[in-house]
Amino acid sequence: MRKIRYYATILGSILAMGIGGTGCVNIAPWERGILAKPEMELDPHPLQSELQSHNYSSREAAPSHKSSSGGGGCGCY
Amino acid sequence: MPLRQGSSHQSGTLEAPPVKSRNTLHALTSAALVLPGLLITPGHAIGKDRINFQYSRYQEGERNLYGVPSLKPISADVLHGSGIFSLTDRTKFTFGYTQDTWSGATPVTTTPLATDGGNRAYFNNGVVVGASPLLQSNVLLDRDLNPIGRDPITKQSSGVVDPRSVMVMSSASPETRRQATFGLSHEWNEVAINVAGGFSRERDYKSSFGSIGGRLDFNQKLTSVKFNGGYTHSEIGAILDHDSSPYITKTAYASQIVNRGGSEILQGNRQDWVTNVGVSQVLTKNALLDVNIGYTHSNGFQENPYKTMSVIFIDPAELNNGQSGLVTGKVRALIEQRPDIRNQVALNTKYIQYISPFNAALHLGYRLSVDDWGINTHTFDANWVQPLGNGWTLTPRIRYYSQDAASFYRPYLFSQQVFQKQAVDNLGREIFFNPKNPNEQYFRDGFFNYVDQNGNRIDDALSQTVQPKFVTYDAGKLPENFSSDHRLAGFGALSGGVVLSKMLGKGVALEAGFEYYTRASSMQIGSGNNSFADFDYYVANAAIKFDIEPTTSLPMGGSSGSSGSHVHTSSHHHHKIPPAGIMFGHMLDKPGDFMAGYRFMYNWTGGNMMHGAHSIADQIIVDQGCSDAVPCRFTPTFMNMRMHMLDIMYAPTKWWNVMLMPTFMDMDMNLRRLSGAPPPVPGVHEHTGAAGHETGAVGDTYFSSLVKLINIPGHRVHMNLGLSAPTGKVDIELRRMAKIDGGLIHFGMQLGSGTWDFMPSLTYAGEKSRWSWGAQLSGVKRLEEKNKSGYRLGDMFQATTWGGYDLTQWLTASVRGAYTLQGAIHRDFDSFNARIGPMDFPANYGGQFWDIGLGLNAIIPGGRFAGNRFGFEWIQPVRSDFNGFQLDRQGSLAATWSYQF
Repeated sequence: MRKIRYYATILGSILAMGIGGTGCVNIAPWERGILAKPEMELDPHPLQSELQSHNYSSREAAPSHKSSSGGGGCGCY
Repeated sequence: MPLRQGSSHQSGTLEAPPVKSRNTLHALTSAALVLPGLLITPGHAIGKDRINFQYSRYQEGERNLYGVPSLKPISADVLHGSGIFSLTDRTKFTFGYTQDTWSGATPVTTTPLATDGGNRAYFNNGVVVGASPLLQSNVLLDRDLNPIGRDPITKQSSGVVDPRSVMVMSSASPETRRQATFGLSHEWNEVAINVAGGFSRERDYKSSFGSIGGRLDFNQKLTSVKFNGGYTHSEIGAILDHDSSPYITKTAYASQIVNRGGSEILQGNRQDWVTNVGVSQVLTKNALLDVNIGYTHSNGFQENPYKTMSVIFIDPAELNNGQSGLVTGKVRALIEQRPDIRNQVALNTKYIQYISPFNAALHLGYRLSVDDWGINTHTFDANWVQPLGNGWTLTPRIRYYSQDAASFYRPYLFSQQVFQKQAVDNLGREIFFNPKNPNEQYFRDGFFNYVDQNGNRIDDALSQTVQPKFVTYDAGKLPENFSSDHRLAGFGALSGGVVLSKMLGKGVALEAGFEYYTRASSMQIGSGNNSFADFDYYVANAAIKFDIEPTTSLPMGGSSGSSGSHVHTSSHHHHKIPPAGIMFGHMLDKPGDFMAGYRFMYNWTGGNMMHGAHSIADQIIVDQGCSDAVPCRFTPTFMNMRMHMLDIMYAPTKWWNVMLMPTFMDMDMNLRRLSGAPPPVPGVHEHTGAAGHETGAVGDTYFSSLVKLINIPGHRVHMNLGLSAPTGKVDIELRRMAKIDGGLIHFGMQLGSGTWDFMPSLTYAGEKSRWSWGAQLSGVKRLEEKNKSGYRLGDMFQATTWGGYDLTQWLTASVRGAYTLQGAIHRDFDSFNARIGPMDFPANYGGQFWDIGLGLNAIIPGGRFAGNRFGFEWIQPVRSDFNGFQLDRQGSLAATWSYQF
């Protein structure tokens, strides 16, 4: 548990620096055409990533990245 | 509102601004972006209204059993359907349904390769044909506890140390999991919230989950902060394998095991709490970064109840006897024990960079997770999303993953104590007891006579019943937690794949993906030494996505700019469609029209066993239901069949339509022992325990060509020439149990016909004001003599007629009568089938059936969902005349959705 708190603190700091350090970016709305392209979406292929994460989580011990939306199943194989 | 430039058409909201003077797409986009509330949040476009269907197949490679034939590796067939619908301009409803059926061999435990059990080969005419898992075995060890090798097949000792380990594999009959999810999201100008929930059901594992999350946009939407919290509750009711359970030590779970229906069920529950916080930040006009941290707390039953730890018990007296010879270790399988609590923290980062020269986007991801089980993981992945023009996008992908082993992971354990020995009292005398009165202890005197505490001989009747009292190992000498599940071992994995997608016209997109994954202990960061658990798998999937963006109501009052892609409904006259249970019953009218639909059919049999038109007593089934040589021993209690079909229809000309219908089937049934059935015979397949049978995967695929013969006002006739391709499996097997092959599962549980079939039909439909009516003659003619399992389903003929009345402009009620004639199965399985009941005999299929159907058809007349059609029909059996002995029909349900583009 102590180890986890240690890691959590480090990760928290990285996140805080991330937010703080990028606040000064300014991009006008008419410069955002590229950012609006479908290939620039965080998840351009949601059906594929859902499937991949289901397979990974039944074969690997890392927490599933879909765990926030829940999702059950034993994966008992 | 999201804007996705480059899609086939855009949301109505964004098309409103009157910017005719600036005509380029870029200008239009920019102008839309500056409208209040319309500035998009980069990276977070919520999908447009759409419906997706996806099928995928997971196939694992064989495990290394050192020459012993591998059992059929795990495969899984997954069907997924999901949708997004706008309820208002800013509120969206999402749903998803996933169904997966898996079967194949899974590792139960790991042992030294040198045991005399493990994967024990079995022979047929001197040839190795398979392997059975032997969980209890012996292993010879030297004084340093190194295993002395044996030949993996013959089990002859080699006399030299062999440190290799092997996984002991056990096969499973097919099992199905179903999951449904629902979500609701709402967007304000700079805030979004969403709630979601759902449940997952399988025979031995039920979970329910809910989550709430949101997003806050800052800095003119260049920065978004996201948060999410979720909770999952799961209940485990693991039906312990009837075959291996006697060889598994369950002492630690005695209080959690209940007996039901002849099966031992290990019960438990667990809770998972998840929180995530993250931030997305636009870095430049070409790049963005997404970072988030998640924390998961789990408690409760986190074991895999089917996995055991091989503990090698060594008698310390033998080990420490001062000699130098070999010692024997007894290998026993104990259900694994994981900690009840787990805390995991994960950091996800994703960087997305637009690569101008290629017009492509590079997605780079890194993920770190740590937990208090000692498992630290690293994941690196890269995707290159390359639009190719004409609606094509190609995305190659590569991923590397590495994890450390859990602190309690061991391939197997040693314990220097005796697994079980006879109890002795403080005088060193062996203790016996009376099972009817366990508190009374007895001993033996020097003449092997039983005596009581005081040394008095007991009477002969009592001495017949006394039994030796055993004490088992001291669990306190074992580690508190242990698991040999290879998913908790240290390893690395490399995978790569590609996704190809194509946007067709009319809001239809196709997507296909392939991935190959290889796991190896040698790829772990640092080192790994469990190469016996290496394996690989591939996943192939195909998806179709229908864009159903509403076009009829434009909230800002502008004219539709969707370039005519699917302007339809009110102006367009729809013919009435026949009741939902009718297939190939209508045609599209205009050349170029396209229709997508989904059809669900559920068929329920249950209740009494029937012979001809009458119910029948068990004893007659025993005597006559199977064959003269073999009496029936089991009979079905119920069987459910569910069929999911995708209807894709296209009109090349106004008199000719083509249709493609892939299907996905799943079925489940259970059996009971017939009263009066002969007792179990060793070596003959028995159906035991509470669990029934399940199958599910792709069924047959229908192709069709429809030709319009008559089309005058009020009367239409068309002919359908259909073909059914044998894509459904007809060689599904039950697992081998109690040293007996399960053989092919019952005819009715196979997923297709196995033959190419001709499916013609002739349909007449008429309508006048609020009334509609019609009739259809249809048939199925098998085009091959037999399928690959040796049999052929009977041909079929059906005549049906219906009448309908429009209750309102959008709702039609119908009544239908149907007569069906179906032939019995021809020939028989040409390989082993257990033949335990009437469902295993070809003559007990088919018959003549009379049904009444009551249906409702609806078409949504206006608003956001205009043009969507729904149909429901319940088909109630009225009379049945079965061939041979069959379970009674209880009815069927047909439900359809379709949408014409």
